[in-house]
Amino acid sequence: MIAMFKQYLNAMRRNPMGLIGLIIVSSFVVMGLLAPYILTRPEDAWGLTYDVGKRFKPPSLEHLFGTDECGRDVFNRVLLGTRFSLMVGVGVVALSLAIGIPIGLAAGYVGGKLGTALMRVTDMFLAFPPLLLAIALAATFGRGLFNTMLALSLSWWPWYSRLIYIQASSVKSMPFVDAAKVVGLSELRIMFRHVLPNVLTPVITQATLDIGSAILEASALSFLGIGVPPPIPEWGLLVSSGWQTVSRAWWISFFPGLFIVVTVLGFNLLGDVVKELMDPRLRNLMAMRRMRL
Amino acid sequence: MPISRGYVAKRLMLSALVILGVLAIAFIMTRIIPARPEFLWAGPHATEEQLKMAREKLRLDRPIYIQLCYYLIDFFRGDWGISWRTRLPVLNDLLTALPATLELVIAAFLLASIVGIPLGIYSALNYGGLRDQVIKFVTVLGASTPVFWIALVLQTALGVWAGILPAGKRVDDYLVYVTGFKPITGFYIIDSLIQGNIPVFLDVLKRLLLPAFVLSIYPLSLSARMSRSLMIEVLNENFIRSLEVWGVPQREILFKYALRNAIAPVIASLGLSFGYTLVGAFMVELIFVWPGLGYYAGMALLSYDYPAVIGVVVLVAIFYSAINLVVDLVHAWLDPRVRL
Repeated sequence: MIAMFKQYLNAMRRNPMGLIGLIIVSSFVVMGLLAPYILTRPEDAWGLTYDVGKRFKPPSLEHLFGTDECGRDVFNRVLLGTRFSLMVGVGVVALSLAIGIPIGLAAGYVGGKLGTALMRVTDMFLAFPPLLLAIALAATFGRGLFNTMLALSLSWWPWYSRLIYIQASSVKSMPFVDAAKVVGLSELRIMFRHVLPNVLTPVITQATLDIGSAILEASALSFLGIGVPPPIPEWGLLVSSGWQTVSRAWWISFFPGLFIVVTVLGFNLLGDVVKELMDPRLRNLMAMRRMRL
Repeated sequence: MPISRGYVAKRLMLSALVILGVLAIAFIMTRIIPARPEFLWAGPHATEEQLKMAREKLRLDRPIYIQLCYYLIDFFRGDWGISWRTRLPVLNDLLTALPATLELVIAAFLLASIVGIPLGIYSALNYGGLRDQVIKFVTVLGASTPVFWIALVLQTALGVWAGILPAGKRVDDYLVYVTGFKPITGFYIIDSLIQGNIPVFLDVLKRLLLPAFVLSIYPLSLSARMSRSLMIEVLNENFIRSLEVWGVPQREILFKYALRNAIAPVIASLGLSFGYTLVGAFMVELIFVWPGLGYYAGMALLSYDYPAVIGVVVLVAIFYSAINLVVDLVHAWLDPRVRL
């Protein structure tokens, strides 16, 4: 564990962009955790206030990011939004792993007709636009943080089960699996205790890489009005709240969007380093000679 | 070409199965979600008589799978239902909207491959250098930007404030009226060229530029990153070294041998990002008031126009499956190691 951590640190030193990513991600995590304690106008942030006199004020020292159509301070709202965006990003990936890993493992390890059937179901979900799932869930259960996560996860997990499936179907014919069978371990135990740890690495790598994309897609759903409901200050929702007045009050949409870009950028830069570390082929390439062509 | 006919047949069958599954899920969802679908069908001021007619027409008294069977029969006859919003057949609406979206998406993908792939190769050739780092950073940035936000920002900055490019719509209505431009294929670029209508052509091109660029940012970054890493990988393989030893000119190694090996997966990944781009197109269309599938879908959703929603979903699924199949076939054709 410590050796792995050291390896990470080394990789960071060699790859300054990864370091930038790490700094961005960790500062946003800290910001998301501490947000309720550093807000200067908590009522504005939670969207409880309405002040006609302060509507559409441009950025100033008093209101760093200006005020919105209800006279609320945009900076406070964006700050509080950090935790919701991060929560959705991590939540989507975690839920997708929870669905995708067992299905991919079962399909890959058991194989045969069951495997084929499971993978066809997976393909079906892959072809299903996340947009419609989000609408369906929003219409049946109402818009909400958890429903947004569920809608995205339902179209996200097939990627993980495919990855697990490919790995598991090659691992299952390895000698150690046969050995476990000879010893008389139950199939379930072999599947989860022996095959799973051997196929997990690429999926975990992919999952870290995906947190940024999950934040991006969740914000898109909120922008379209089928994700997180108001008055939760989710970033995509904040961008959409300034959409119609963008030509005279650009700051309402601009700053929340900028925060999305920086956060996702952080996750992507960090993900690149993790990927280079996890992929031995790429790791060799890092020490590669400079191209002479 | 290592593609067997059996494989293509099998894939086509699977695609049909997937599309049927998507259709069934979409249908069941849209029939179960609204508490009383007949109210939506008959409108807010319907009489008891009209509601009864609507119930009979939708066959709501029968079990859901019977309803689905009836829907499927109509579906294969080309009757995809009547849109509750426009009161026109859904299939007609979709076919009118499709060319607008395709024009946008094709322009975006052309931009993505023409700019993205050379950018990635250039980056790979400068591996580790400053130019490589800058290109890498810019492409990661591109992949991190929400399309709806950058669309809003560029539309406001370039379209509304600076007035350099028009901020929305496919073509100027006044110009259409004056020059007597008539859509034929629905691809306005082609239509205006066929009719030799240069003012409309220029206007269409100008209006296409901004939405297409915005939409291309994600696939462009993707293709640049993919072609960079694949090019690096290929250039490190042994056959490239032996070519170098044999004294084959470097330009020839690069364009004749390395590129061919690196390009196939790039095309595959571009194809696979098609679904994502289509969802992006929906948002770009809403922002740029672009009368395509996305705009149609958005309006349909806002008015709970379920026949139209199912139509859009099925059409997207068909496109998605077709693209996946084509991508796999092209991949096999370009890369002789792939056997299907």
